Amino acid sequence: MTAIAEPRPRGVILGLSEGAVAKLITGLTILAVWEVGCRLFAPAYVARPIGILLAIPDTVSSAKFLDAAWSTLWAVVRGLVLALVLGTAVGLAMGRKPVVERALRYYVNGLYAMPMVAVLPLVTLWFGYTNAARMATIVFAAFFAIAINAADGARAVPPEYIEVARSFRARGINIWLGIAVPASLPYLLAGVRLAAGRALIGCIVAEFFISLEGLGFYILFNSRTFHHNEALVAVLVLAAFGVGVEMLINWVTRRFLPWYRRGEGGE
Amino acid sequence: MRQSLSRVAVPALSLLAGAVIWEIVGRNTSPAFMVPFSATVAKLAELVRNGEFMAALAQSLGLFVSGFSIAVVTAVPLGVLFARVRLLRIGLESYVTMLYATPMAALIPFILSLFGFDFGAKVLVVFLFAFFPILYNTVEGARSVRPELIEVARSFRSSEWGIWRDVLIPHTLPFALTGLRQGIGRGLVGMVTAEFFLAASGIGRLIIVSERDFDTAGVLASVLLITLLGVLLMSIGRALENRYAAWRGLDR
Repeated sequence: MTAIAEPRPRGVILGLSEGAVAKLITGLTILAVWEVGCRLFAPAYVARPIGILLAIPDTVSSAKFLDAAWSTLWAVVRGLVLALVLGTAVGLAMGRKPVVERALRYYVNGLYAMPMVAVLPLVTLWFGYTNAARMATIVFAAFFAIAINAADGARAVPPEYIEVARSFRARGINIWLGIAVPASLPYLLAGVRLAAGRALIGCIVAEFFISLEGLGFYILFNSRTFHHNEALVAVLVLAAFGVGVEMLINWVTRRFLPWYRRGEGGE
Repeated sequence: MRQSLSRVAVPALSLLAGAVIWEIVGRNTSPAFMVPFSATVAKLAELVRNGEFMAALAQSLGLFVSGFSIAVVTAVPLGVLFARVRLLRIGLESYVTMLYATPMAALIPFILSLFGFDFGAKVLVVFLFAFFPILYNTVEGARSVRPELIEVARSFRSSEWGIWRDVLIPHTLPFALTGLRQGIGRGLVGMVTAEFFLAASGIGRLIIVSERDFDTAGVLASVLLITLLGVLLMSIGRALENRYAAWRGLDR
């Protein structure tokens, strides 16, 4: 077990870096174990990698699937944007004004800690079994994560920056837009990342609960009718969306906030 | 003096205002939509008195603790192992990230048809919700362990156990605790979701049954209870995290 102890030179195998080869091999191993395990031990309807692969062309070209995917992802994006606007406003106010923070602290922290799917029955009482209920769940799931992170960010603004700005007679608006907002951006992005995951869960669970058209319901329907391969294609789309948000945020951080280095590992 | 007064008075006033607004809104809308704060509290007291809440709480907590503890005892050692075996980490890291970003709620229909809807299946849901945040964060910690530290330990003929005890575990623990806190939040979501969609039980069942009966006071009282549970568990997680957070900056 000297894998770490030796400072090994970066190996290159067949033009691929050592890391890429390791990733490829583990990925193929996982898929192979899944495929063989299912063939040996599971009933025929259980999803297997080859079955999923074969199901992809028909599934992604069917209008039903495309409508469902569009409906879910568009709702999540709209809900996230709404939560981002509201959450940033509330969060920045909480971070900069102690009175606001004290007034809202218990509400924001309490509702953040509450498992958001628990409000679904309440939301359906208020909005009925409609798209609006799903949207409300998404916004509710995403809002508090963003507000809390925006508040943390606003609090983390180094006081010296503000002092310097004041000494140069900067106006309030310039202090806000020029210092408080940029300085809290990394926190805000971390909040968006958290919120995106929560929004996705909220959306899917809402679709299960309300039986609304969307990927969640598509998965529910197809798994009940033993079309597990098709249902797993929908799971892959959701996973891709989750990973996509993750990558987008990493890219934005690297591209626009190069001064922000927290959390970068020592590779 | 004025400062400390506002520290207590503002939150108290704000909570009072919330209760008053809730009361006024509740009195002026149909009871199918909203009931006053006082009615919710009365319902809460009633459910506590007849023992329904305690039973539901015990059932839900049993489910949560089972799934969550399995997630902890599997994810944390696995994450620390990633710190030790570099190739394993490089090979699996991106798949862990992928599964971390996948909404586990989407897997519930599969769990339902493969494993049924009894206690074991529900524990699996809680486990899946909690496992990946814990593993993901522990791996993040594993990445922060510098190879030189292990080299130095080896040069001084440290035993394998010594390396784990003095280098790997102290370095990954703060990250693992961040994962634990996230895992508590997600595990609670998993708990409620499992109680909604698999065999109805615990607080989830209480909420669903109240909603079907248009017993809005019951829904609100149960949601209030689950919020309190969430706050309690999250603050335990946060306290643990802060307790060991100081280690994070260690020699970096």
